[in-house]
Amino acid sequence: MVVFNVLSVHSMFSQLLFAGSSLLNLKIRTDDYTMTEKRHYSKPTIIRHTVGVMNKYGRPPATVPMNRLVGHEVKELVENYGSPLFVLNVQELRDNYRDMSRAFMTRYPKAQIAYSYKTNYMKAVCSILHQEGAWAEVVSGFEYDIARNLNMAGENIIFNGPYKTKAELMRAFSEKALVNIDNYDEMQVIEDIAEELGTVLEVGIRINMDLNSPPWHKFGFNLEAGHAFEAVKRALASGKLKVVGLHIHVGTYIDDLTIYSRAAQGMVEFYRYIKEQLGVTLKYWDMGGGYASHNTLNWAWLPAEQTCPTYDHYAETICPILLNGPFAAEDAPKLFLEPGRALVDEPFSLITSVAAQKRMPNGGRGIVLDAGMNILSSVQWYSYNFQTGQDSGSMIEDTTVYGGLCMNIDVLRESASVPQVRRGDLLVIPHVGAYNISQSWQFIYLRPNVIAIEDGEVHVIKKAETREYVQEFEQVPDTFTK
Amino acid sequence: MDSFLHSEFTLSESGFLFDHGTGLTYTLNETGRFIFQKIQDGSHANNLVELVTSEFEVAEDIARKDVDDFFRQLKEARIIH
Repeated sequence: MVVFNVLSVHSMFSQLLFAGSSLLNLKIRTDDYTMTEKRHYSKPTIIRHTVGVMNKYGRPPATVPMNRLVGHEVKELVENYGSPLFVLNVQELRDNYRDMSRAFMTRYPKAQIAYSYKTNYMKAVCSILHQEGAWAEVVSGFEYDIARNLNMAGENIIFNGPYKTKAELMRAFSEKALVNIDNYDEMQVIEDIAEELGTVLEVGIRINMDLNSPPWHKFGFNLEAGHAFEAVKRALASGKLKVVGLHIHVGTYIDDLTIYSRAAQGMVEFYRYIKEQLGVTLKYWDMGGGYASHNTLNWAWLPAEQTCPTYDHYAETICPILLNGPFAAEDAPKLFLEPGRALVDEPFSLITSVAAQKRMPNGGRGIVLDAGMNILSSVQWYSYNFQTGQDSGSMIEDTTVYGGLCMNIDVLRESASVPQVRRGDLLVIPHVGAYNISQSWQFIYLRPNVIAIEDGEVHVIKKAETREYVQEFEQVPDTFTK
Repeated sequence: MDSFLHSEFTLSESGFLFDHGTGLTYTLNETGRFIFQKIQDGSHANNLVELVTSEFEVAEDIARKDVDDFFRQLKEARIIH
């Protein structure tokens, strides 16, 4: 027993010694490790605490990195396609269309969406929406030509706008497009066309109402002043035109549903009146566009997430009122809707790089991006969000975001919550699909690539400009160079 | 009180900073807290970049730009002279 005990003690001692040496080794290794590894670095930052900047509605914090878009690494997309870079999530665009179409068709089965080309008339965008079933709503001969070039039948094109040339109108009527008359001069041109074609032409009359402040009186004939009734009567009086449609467009980015309900009510009452007085039977009525998207307006108190109605809200506001119109259920006129912004804004994001950061005289921070107002003209309306494209830490600082143009007015946002970013870091600006591309200017910089991603596959849908492309139609007479 | 600093400050472990002179409060991130502590300890401004690079995984040119910008922020906030 004693021997056993001695052995046991010896064994224990050996084990302790061994364990001790292991611990010693481990300690040395740990010390080595501690000595060589430095702490993770982030830009030194100090943020003053202020009262009232937070609200209970909130937004996704800008510190949450948006380092992937449509399943692709943002960094990788920029490496492959450059910065800035417009990115279209095709499935989101399709879902948007389907959601809106469902919302209206379930409440008004004869509803038909005609996509407002002017918001983004890139061929790929229009094609996707036509694939989903959208008609085209165009406001110029140029846009009409884009639609026809995409093989849209004339009869599936709605031609609006305050200025249409005789040639454009002639083409539209010859191809059976739906034309909504904006003014008497246009009506007269269309009467001439009817005469030349030797037929009575079916037309729509665009009307406006006192719905907003300031009112949208630029387009069409005013209802309250009696001009709309006169226009219908005048059109019929020529014997060359047959009024089969009424059109109204209540404004742009309308998140006040009462404007739509008043417009729909006005349409119903006006239809009832011209039916009684003039015997008009409508084949269609067109509630136009103006539906808001999830972007916050510069002058809005609350973020768009809180104020932007859903498609169901819009449909529930408009459709039940129209169904009270003066017609039997089976004779309901076709209902056209002309969304643009609401469909294409959200599926697009812009990836942009930080070009510089600077400390402003008031102590605030400024950052300069490689994207400016030339490709982001909607900053006039929207307070865009700037999400980091990588982990930029949790310290958010109030920041003035400047575009890269050498112009003092090129400010993308006076005050945005942006984490600590440095030159070369990426920012993602969501919801940029409406107007920014169709209104972009070639100014100072070349316009960037636009890509679309669907089912993991990346497609370039608009190539970045080159100097040669920009100067293609310029000419320098020999006498200027001798 | 260090000559750099405008008034007396209390800095917590978590980076919460209280200005005894004005009553204003701030939050510093880890690097900012490190630099501020060095300022409180009396480190000279010229040594701060070196202190930062020896403590954190960062290149000297980046640290220099960032420390400069941090100082501008502190000056504009009237935290340092």
